[in-house]
Amino acid sequence: MENLFEVKDVSLRFGGVVSLSNVSMFQKRGEILAVIGPNGAGKTSLFNSLTGVYQPQEGTILFNPKDKPQLSIIGKKPFTVSDSGIARTFQASRMFNALTTFENVKIGAESHKGIGVLGAMFRGPATRRDEHTSDEHTWSLLEFVGLKDRANVIASALSYGERRRLEIARGLATNPEVLLLDEPAAGTNPSEKNDLAILIRKVRDEMGVSILLIEHDMKLVMSLAERLYVLNFGSVIAEGTPEQIRSNQNVIDAYLGTASEEETDNA
Amino acid sequence: MSGFFHYFSSHFESFRGEFWALFFGGIGSGIIYAMVAIGYTMVYGVLRLINFAHSEIFMIGGFSGFFVLKYGIGSSTPSGLSSVFFVILGILAGGIAGSLSAVVLERVAYRPLRKRGAPKIAYLISAIGASYFLINIAAKEFGRIGQSMVQPYTDHAVFTIFGAPIQMYTIIILIVSVLMFLALDRIVSATKLGRGIRAVAQDSETASLMGVNIDKTIAVTFLLGGFLGGVAGFLYAMNFGVLYSMGFTPALKAFTAAVLGGIGNLRGAVLGGLILGIVESLSVSFVNPAYIDVVAFAILILVLMFRPTGILGERLGRDA
Amino acid sequence: MKTLLTKKTLKFVGALFILSELAAIMTGPPGNPTHQFDGFKGSLTDPTSLLGLFTTSRWIVFFVYGILASLIVYLVRTKQNVVGKVLEAQRSVSANKTFRIIFFSALVILVVLLPTLIKDAFWQNAMVSQIAVFVLLALGLNVVTGFAGLLDLGFVAFYAVGAYATAWCTGALPLPALFGIHLNTFYAIPIAIALAMISGIILGIPTLRLRGDYLAIVTLGFGEIITVFANNLNGVTGGAMGTGQVPHFAIHVGPVNYVWGIPPVPYYYLTIVFVGIFMIAFSLLEHSRVGRAWTAIREDEVAAESVGINPLKYKVLAFAIGAASAGFAGVMTAAQSNYVTPATFTLGLSINVLVLVIFGGMGSITGVVFGAVVIQTITMYLIHNPPAGYQPQDLYIYIGALLVIMMIFRPAGMIPSRRRSRTHASAASGQE
Ligand SMILES: Nc1ncnc2c1ncn2[C@@H]1O[C@H](COP(=O)(O)OP(=O)(O)OP(=O)(O)O)[C@@H](O)[C@H]1O
Ligand SMILES: [Mg+2]
Repeated sequence: MENLFEVKDVSLRFGGVVSLSNVSMFQKRGEILAVIGPNGAGKTSLFNSLTGVYQPQEGTILFNPKDKPQLSIIGKKPFTVSDSGIARTFQASRMFNALTTFENVKIGAESHKGIGVLGAMFRGPATRRDEHTSDEHTWSLLEFVGLKDRANVIASALSYGERRRLEIARGLATNPEVLLLDEPAAGTNPSEKNDLAILIRKVRDEMGVSILLIEHDMKLVMSLAERLYVLNFGSVIAEGTPEQIRSNQNVIDAYLGTASEEETDNA
Repeated sequence: MSGFFHYFSSHFESFRGEFWALFFGGIGSGIIYAMVAIGYTMVYGVLRLINFAHSEIFMIGGFSGFFVLKYGIGSSTPSGLSSVFFVILGILAGGIAGSLSAVVLERVAYRPLRKRGAPKIAYLISAIGASYFLINIAAKEFGRIGQSMVQPYTDHAVFTIFGAPIQMYTIIILIVSVLMFLALDRIVSATKLGRGIRAVAQDSETASLMGVNIDKTIAVTFLLGGFLGGVAGFLYAMNFGVLYSMGFTPALKAFTAAVLGGIGNLRGAVLGGLILGIVESLSVSFVNPAYIDVVAFAILILVLMFRPTGILGERLGRDA
Repeated sequence: MKTLLTKKTLKFVGALFILSELAAIMTGPPGNPTHQFDGFKGSLTDPTSLLGLFTTSRWIVFFVYGILASLIVYLVRTKQNVVGKVLEAQRSVSANKTFRIIFFSALVILVVLLPTLIKDAFWQNAMVSQIAVFVLLALGLNVVTGFAGLLDLGFVAFYAVGAYATAWCTGALPLPALFGIHLNTFYAIPIAIALAMISGIILGIPTLRLRGDYLAIVTLGFGEIITVFANNLNGVTGGAMGTGQVPHFAIHVGPVNYVWGIPPVPYYYLTIVFVGIFMIAFSLLEHSRVGRAWTAIREDEVAAESVGINPLKYKVLAFAIGAASAGFAGVMTAAQSNYVTPATFTLGLSINVLVLVIFGGMGSITGVVFGAVVIQTITMYLIHNPPAGYQPQDLYIYIGALLVIMMIFRPAGMIPSRRRSRTHASAASGQE
C-alpha cells in the first residue's frame, strides 16, 4: 500500500539560511509519526513545507489521500492543501481571538467552496441544512476534545491547554486524513500533558486520523510515537522506533548541547 | 549637404545634452527620494509598519527651512560665506523640525497603540489621521497657495558634464546627502544606539530581553528618520517652494523607492531612490506631463506585484 | 494636597497645556501666505469669555475647560464607577429583545416621519445628499474595513464608478451610451451597482494579494489615478467639468408613473429603502459563513488558510460587496444633483468615509450608521450655522484628530461590534 506522505530530497533556503537540506521521509497511513530535533533544526519549516506555507526550492512532496487524487504539495496554496485532507496546529497557537470557541471550530467545519453570498441573504433550505450539519459536527468535536462547556467562551480567554485542544478540534473539523501537531504540549502542565497524550491517541484510534507530531517533551514523544525522524541543522540524522532512536549515537550527540535546555523545558 | 550634417550633429548634441541634463536632474530628485525613503525603511525596520505620516515630516521640514530663510535673509541677496551659512541654517532648521515632529508623532500616534498591542490596522488609521491633521492645520495656518523660498544663493551652472550644466543646487544636494548617508551609516553600524536599532529590527522581543530599551530605540529611529526627512523637505523646497500638501507626491515616490530597494534595507532605500529619480526624470521625454506622477505609481504597483521584496531584498517575516 | 503634586499630575497638566493650545489653534483664525504666524498669534491671544465671567486668552479658556472636564471624569471614575454602571445598564437593556424591537421600531418610524418634521430646505437636501448617501458609503466601507479588515483608502473610486456609470447609461457623458440607448436613470441602478462591483473585482484581484499596509497605499494611489483620468479624459468623462445632464429618476410601468423631481424628499425615501436593504443584507452576510470567513482572515490569515479558506477569494468578495452600496450611492448623487464631476471624488472623501466607520465602530452595522448620521449631521450643522471664525476646511483638521483619538481611546468605536470589541479587548489584556 502506498504511503500517506512521500517526501523526497526537499531543500528549503531563506537567503543564505538553509532550513531544510535534502530531507526525505515518509509516513504510513494511520501512523503516529514524530519529528524531533534541537531548536532551529527545521521542524516547523518542514511542517510549513508540508502544508504549502513555504515553497521549498528543491524536491517533491506527495500526499496520497484515500479517496481523493494524489497531490503534489510544493507549489500549492495552504487552503488547497487543507482541502485535500491535511490539517495542522501551530507552534505559537493561532486562533481567531475575536470569536468564541464554538465559532473557531465551526469555521473549520464549514465548506469554503463556492461563494455563499446568495445563500446567506436568502437563507434557503440548503443553507440552513449546511449550517445545521456544521453545528452538529462542531458540537461533537468540542465534546471529543473536552471543550463543550467552554463553547461560548472567547478564544483568547482560554488557558494554554484549552487553546491546544481548540486548535486540534478546529483542525479535525476539516475532516482531515492527517493532523500535523507542532509542539502541542508546549506551555502545558504535566496533567494537561497526560490528557493531551490520551487525546492524540484517541484521534488516531477513534477517528482514524494519522498523526505527525513535533514535540520537545521526550517522555511524551517516546510514549506516543511509533516511529521518529530526527532533524538537525535541516537534515535527517536518524530514523527509527523510539528504542532505536534512544540508543542512536548521532542523536545523542546532537542533543548533548541542548540537554540542559531540555530540563528547563520540562520544568 | 553640409547644412544637413550640421543640423544633424547639432540636434544630436542637444539630445545628448538633454539626456544628461535629465539624468543629473533625476539624480538630484532621486537623492531627495532616498532621504525620505530612509525614514520609511528605518521605521519599518523597528515597527514593521509604514509610517503614513512621514510625508508631513517632509512638509514640516520644508516649512521650517522656509521660515528661517524668510526671516533670516529678508530682502537681501546673500553671497559667498553668508550663502553657505544660510544653507546650513536651513538644513538644520529642516532637520531639527523634522526630528522633533517625528518624535512627537511616535509619542502621540504610535506609542499608545504599541503599549496596548493594537492590531496593525489601528496603527495605519492613527497615522493617516495624524497625517491628515497636520496637512490641514498647515493649510489653515500657512495658506493654501504655494510660495517660493527666498534663495540663500544665486543658482547657476557651475560646470558641465557631457554638455549638461550642473547647477549649484544639484551640488549642494549631493554634498549634503553624501555627508548624511555617511553619518547615518556610521551611527547605525558603529554606535550603541545603532546596535540597539539593529537588534530591535532583528527581533524586538529578544532585544528587550537583552536589555535594549525599546521605547528609546524606537524614538531614536524616528528622530534619525525625521532628520533626514526634514532636511529632504528643505532641499526640495529650495527648488519647488512650500505648500501644505507638498509632501504627498514626493513621499509616495519615496515610499516606492523604499519598496523598490527592499523595505527595511538602508542601502536599498538609497539605490531605489536614485533609480526612481532617474527613471522618472527620463520619462519626461516620452510621457504626457499630466500623467507623470502615474509613472512612479505604476512602478510601485509593478514592484509590489512582482517583486515585493525589492531589489536588495527585505528580511523575510516569519509567518507560521 | 501633597499627593496631588506627583510626576503624574505634572505630566497631566503639561499635556493639558499643550492640548489646550492645540485646541485654540485648531479653532482659531487662519493665517495667510504672507503673514503665516498671524493665525497662531490670534489663536493664542484672542480674548474669549470664560464661563461668561470674564474674558481671557483663548487657550486659557480651553485649559480651564479641560481641567473642569477631567475633574468631573476623575470624580465620577473614583467615587463609584458610574460610567461603567451606565454602560452596563445600557448593555443589559439593549440585550433585552422586546426593548430592542420597540427601540428599533420607534427609530424606523422616526426616520420615515423625518421629512415631515424637518421642513428646512437646507436640511431636507442634506438628509439625502450628505447623510443618507454617506450612510450608504459607510455601510460599504464597513464590509471592506470592518468585516474583512482591509484598509481601502481609495474607496471613493467605487462611488465614482457608480456615478459615472449612471451618467454613461443615461447618455449624459461624451462617451456614447451602450447600444446608443439612453436609459432612464432608474434603470441605471442595477447597471451602476454591477459595474461598481465589477470594478471592485478588477481592482481587488491584483491588489488584494498585498499586505495590509501596502494595500492601503496602493488603493490610495488608485483613487488618485482615477481622479487624474477623470480629469483628463475629456472625450470620455467630460474632463474637469464632468457633466450636468444626468436626468432625474422616473418610473413608467403600466399604470404607475412617477417622476422624481427637484425636491429632495422623494429621493430621501428611495435612499432609505436602499439603506434598509443594504443593512439587512450585510447583517445576514456578517452572520453567515461568509462573515465568519472574513473574521477569520481578519484575525489570522495564516490560520484561516490552514482550515481551507482562500483569503484572496473572500477579500475580493468583500471589495465587490462593499462596492455595491458605494455604487448605489453614486447613482443617488448623480440622479439627485444631475451633476457628476471629478471634484467630488477626492482622497479627502475616502478619509471622510473612513472616519464615519471608525467613529461608529468598525464591523458594527448599527455603529457605522450611527457614526455616519452623527458626524455628517454635525458637519452639515457647521456648514449651515458656522460658529465665528469657522471655515469649512477646518473640518478636515477635526477629522484627522478624531481618527487618532479614536485609535488611542476607543479603537472599537462608539457602538462596537460584538466581534471587534473582543479583538481589541484581547489585545488590550495582552493575551495572544
Ligand atoms: N520565514 C523564515 N525566514 C527566514 N528564516 C527562516 C524562516 N523560517 C525559518 N527560518 C530559519 O530556518 C531555520 C529552522 O527554523 P524552524 O522554525 O523550522 O526550526 P524548528 O526546528 O521548528 O525550531 P524550534 O524547536 O525552535 O521550533 C532557523 O534557522 C530559522 O531561522
Ligand atoms: Mg518550530
